Amino acid sequence: MIALLGPEVTWYLGVAAFLFATGSLGVLLRRNPLIVLLSLEIMLNGGNLALIAFARNLGDGSGQIFALAVMAVAAAEVVVGLGLIVALNRKRVTLDVDRLNTLRG
Amino acid sequence: MVWGAWICLLSPLVAACLITLGGRRLSRRAAGYVATTACFVAFGGAVASFVGLLGRDASQREVVSTAWTWITGGSYQSGLSILIDPLSVFMMLIVAGVGSLIVWYSVGYMDGDPEERRYFAYMALFVFSMLLLVQGGNLLLLLAGWGMVGLSSYLLIGFWHERPSAIAAAKKAFVMNAIGDASMALALFLLIQKANSLDFGILGGQYSSTVANLVALGLLGGAVAKSAQIPLHTWLPDAMEGPTPVSALIHAATMVTAGVYLIVRTHAIFEQAPKVADLAAGLGALTLLVAGLIALVQVDIKRVIAYSTMSQIGYMFLGAGIGSYPNAMFHLMTHAFFKALLFMAAGIVIHALVNEQDIRKMGGLRQLAPRTYWGFLIGSLALVGIFPFAGFFSKDSILAAAMDRGTYGYILWAAGLIGTFLTGLYTFRLLFIVFWGEPSAFVREHFHPLGRDTVAVALAVPVGVLAVLSIVGGWIQFSPWWHPVETWLQTVAEPVVSPESWQEWLSIGLSLLLGLSGIAVAWLFYGARRLAVPRLAFAQRTLEHKFYFDEAYDALFYAPAVFLANFFRRGVEQPLIADSGRDLGDDTRDLGGLVARAQTGLLRTYALAIASSVAVLAIVFVVLK
Repeated sequence: MIALLGPEVTWYLGVAAFLFATGSLGVLLRRNPLIVLLSLEIMLNGGNLALIAFARNLGDGSGQIFALAVMAVAAAEVVVGLGLIVALNRKRVTLDVDRLNTLRG
Repeated sequence: MVWGAWICLLSPLVAACLITLGGRRLSRRAAGYVATTACFVAFGGAVASFVGLLGRDASQREVVSTAWTWITGGSYQSGLSILIDPLSVFMMLIVAGVGSLIVWYSVGYMDGDPEERRYFAYMALFVFSMLLLVQGGNLLLLLAGWGMVGLSSYLLIGFWHERPSAIAAAKKAFVMNAIGDASMALALFLLIQKANSLDFGILGGQYSSTVANLVALGLLGGAVAKSAQIPLHTWLPDAMEGPTPVSALIHAATMVTAGVYLIVRTHAIFEQAPKVADLAAGLGALTLLVAGLIALVQVDIKRVIAYSTMSQIGYMFLGAGIGSYPNAMFHLMTHAFFKALLFMAAGIVIHALVNEQDIRKMGGLRQLAPRTYWGFLIGSLALVGIFPFAGFFSKDSILAAAMDRGTYGYILWAAGLIGTFLTGLYTFRLLFIVFWGEPSAFVREHFHPLGRDTVAVALAVPVGVLAVLSIVGGWIQFSPWWHPVETWLQTVAEPVVSPESWQEWLSIGLSLLLGLSGIAVAWLFYGARRLAVPRLAFAQRTLEHKFYFDEAYDALFYAPAVFLANFFRRGVEQPLIADSGRDLGDDTRDLGGLVARAQTGLLRTYALAIASSVAVLAIVFVVLK
């Protein structure tokens, strides 16, 4: 089986978890919206890697198709996110997510 | 005859509606004449009924005319019916006759008052209510009239509504009367339960002594409140805040005597409850003494007459209580004449002195207003019961009847005789102070005599008519020799006492003597001023405080009620009800603030919350699996 040629699926999952954790830490800790967006992409990629790893492991193609769909959505999301950031910059708002607290109760 | 009674009942109601609906289309003077005419028409109707009854055989003199069934409930029903019998016709004649004279007098007295129309509408309403009371064919209609006279009395006492004291007096009268109405209603409830009807006929039925006593007590409560007898009498002197013709009509001649009418009308139940009848007589005797004493120190001309009214109604209660019904009714009639006369003569004095009622400022009016003086003198002599004036014939026969009731009767008799002395004293004290001596400075400055216009005519003619009636009205019955009133009322209310001839003559002699000596004492103190008025500080204070009845009621009912209300306001409403609402609001807001703190507006906080929650859930999931 082709699936047995590579390393164990656990390793793939380990890398995916590492990417996801790195991304989420970035989302939680960084204050620059640009970096936050970037970290979000890293989290998505971590998720994608896990999907593909399972797809290979189980020999089922739908996981890979799912990963493709996630990439498409991520691309769209980046467009919206970057558009927001550019709009903020245009209005000369400081690019700091802690300052964007208008929704505070 | 029947139509006469209906016209008598309804014409004042029509006048009241006409004046009310007519509004400004009717001039103020015209409103007065509409009311007067209606009352005279009512009197005509009463006369027609009287003549009709007179033409019948004595045993046939009871006609009930029912317009329609008024109230039906289960097997109980009562009709809107009027009763025409000797007693009701007797009352109709008094109410409509004296009423029409007083309403006519009002045309003069109220002339120029900005709210004359309202006044005459109320007056007509009162006459209607009073006629409903005396003509009602069952106890329910009687109660309806009873309540309505209370209402019109309230409206008329408070007629000068810009005076706080008038409003307070009106409320006091209404509340006191409401107590009586409630007690009477309770008696009627008991009757409905026991006899399932409120027709007058059921009163003669057999009841257990408890039921009879309770019903009689309830009715007595109503009578005592309406007729201003102790202990529910304190409203009557205050009711003098109303216009003087109102005092003459409602608080002297008609409404306040309704209690006597009630006792006579329901005498069958009182005869089954002799203890309660004795109580009524005793209350009457007590009232006539207490009121006579208080009248000695009053300085308001109308209040003196008001207390004398209470005192005279005391005589009537005494008579009705011992079962001498015709004499009580006879005294009611003569009292209506001379008391209305006194009030209206006093009204002329008040009118001539620009609404001054304090007798200390008056004096010497005999020279300035001789005709008024004669009217007042006739009324006073009739009130004291001096031969040949009206009160002489009626008062003495009540006293004689009391002698026929054993030991208790003799106590009442003695009280009545003392009352005669007091009557002479306070009546002539008033007369001497107001009319004798030299005109006081106040009188010289403010007195303006009546002219010869319609106002003066409207004031003078009714007074003259009543003066004549006060002289001759008593001759209808002289109990030792002739008694047409007794014969007339025989079928409705047969007296249960029949005094001997010597008792009659003894009472007549003694009461005449005592009345004259009262007048003589008054003359010594106030007329000739031979003697200085004795200074008895304690007695004077007690009397000026009217035996502390008002103070006692304040302490007994008013003060505890206020205390309780304040206690509940401070102890219950404030902490439990008012504060609990505020606390609930405060706490909700505090809690909201606490939750709101979680909403920082920082995306990272939310993300952290989501991430940590998912992590916790994942760990839980793994561990539990």
